[in-house]
Amino acid sequence: MAHVMAEGFKFRYLKTPVHGLDPRVKLLMTAMLFALALLSSNLYQEALVFAAVGVPAALARSLKRLLRIAALSLTFSLMIFAVNMLFGQPLLESAVITIRFLGIVAATSVFFVTTSPDEIEYVMRWFRLPRDFVFAFATSIRFVPVLMMDLTQIIDAQRSRGLEMDRGNPVRRIRNLIPVLIPLIVNALVRSGELAEAMEARGYGAVSRPTSMHALLMKKNDYAALLVLVPAWSLLITYFLGLL
Amino acid sequence: MSVIEFEDVRHRMPNGVVALDSVSLKVGRGEVVAVVGGNGAGKTTLLKHMNGLLKPSSGRVTVFGKETKEESIARLSRRVGLVFQNSDHQIFSESAKEEVMFGLKNFGIPPGEAEEKAGRALEYYGLADLAARPPLTLSGGEKKRLCIAAVMAWEPDVLVLDEPTVGQDYPSRSRLFGVVQGLASSNRTVVIVSHDLEFLWPLSPRTVVMSKGRVVADGPAREVFMRTEMLRDAGLREPQLLQLSRRFGREEPFTAVDQAAAWLTERGRAN
Repeated sequence: MAHVMAEGFKFRYLKTPVHGLDPRVKLLMTAMLFALALLSSNLYQEALVFAAVGVPAALARSLKRLLRIAALSLTFSLMIFAVNMLFGQPLLESAVITIRFLGIVAATSVFFVTTSPDEIEYVMRWFRLPRDFVFAFATSIRFVPVLMMDLTQIIDAQRSRGLEMDRGNPVRRIRNLIPVLIPLIVNALVRSGELAEAMEARGYGAVSRPTSMHALLMKKNDYAALLVLVPAWSLLITYFLGLL
Repeated sequence: MSVIEFEDVRHRMPNGVVALDSVSLKVGRGEVVAVVGGNGAGKTTLLKHMNGLLKPSSGRVTVFGKETKEESIARLSRRVGLVFQNSDHQIFSESAKEEVMFGLKNFGIPPGEAEEKAGRALEYYGLADLAARPPLTLSGGEKKRLCIAAVMAWEPDVLVLDEPTVGQDYPSRSRLFGVVQGLASSNRTVVIVSHDLEFLWPLSPRTVVMSKGRVVADGPAREVFMRTEMLRDAGLREPQLLQLSRRFGREEPFTAVDQAAAWLTERGRAN
């Protein structure tokens, strides 16, 4: 299970028209999809949201990965559904709210599945966010797959010592997490300490305005994508807001 | 009688990479088997099949006659103890003794007996004085021995060591060598997965060479390590003592540095 999760979170560069877009265009596209998902108020609109998310995901050859991420958030979706039902929401309303959540997850995932941690860092710098904050954020994203791989290995090691994580009552199951979480946290702290030292040893923080090898440049493809995205989104949002 | 048997095993990873391909292998009772190969050869994938952490995509793996697909990891681990490469991936307890007790408790060994077994294991691996120490404060060599003690405490029939020499300094390596030698002479089945041929050579184990997920050689170390080209193709190089023996045209290769030094001194005197 942890391995499947690790695979889902890992960024893999593919040569597709979506991966090749400027990260700012991808961010704008995600924001548009997010807004659509947030404003969808019935099953038809939600179907349109999934279709709108599906197009870039298919072009990015990442539909399967997106489905995997959606499957991982299924437990949380079911909880949303159950809570809504418990508080007296009608079945259809509860279903719409739950599917809306899945739509939001799918919409935001498009960005993370098609954008490398480096590109995220460039976009944040373009927004002139503080350098230390940008570095910390980008590093934490880069560390997610590493931590997931660590988690897999720790679980393997403890299961080899007889730990049965899915066994026992809920309290026992929570206690079963201790032999997994302690090595995970200790390793993460050790690794972050080592990284900080390695960065300082390579001059991090030596000057207040370091130079950068990368500059974000809009290409023909990016303008073409905007020419399709903006009118299509405007049309959909007008329909979603009931103005059409 | 074989305790672990791989029959035409293929393992495909979730990302589509074939990590094991047509692997057939039998590990006999009391055998010391070294599985060697370069990075990405499939060694760790192979060992994870030995206690059911991984199941074959096709083919069969049987442990003491039982197919791993039908057994839980916990039941298999009771008989096949696996020590992972990175000690920090398993250490979590407040004391070394508690760390050793963890597996014993998981396997339902009564507290009194578990305490006795833990004490014995710590004593045997030279860690009795460190029993109360938090394991995270131990040295790399001590941690490695603690991980072996933590597995050997429940007395599995087979011990599988994954890259035991990685990150170990000379004293720790020597001590580790003594531990493995002790296990081998006590007739225990030991599988060592490593690319450290210098460490393995004096042990003279049966050697299985892996490359690109396949077994490319299987036989006594003295025969397998003679096949220079095959080793190079598998990303390995013959041990230095063997290279030295070759340079001097010795039919019987050196197995220890002291032996080589004595022979060279004698030769120097004779000349």
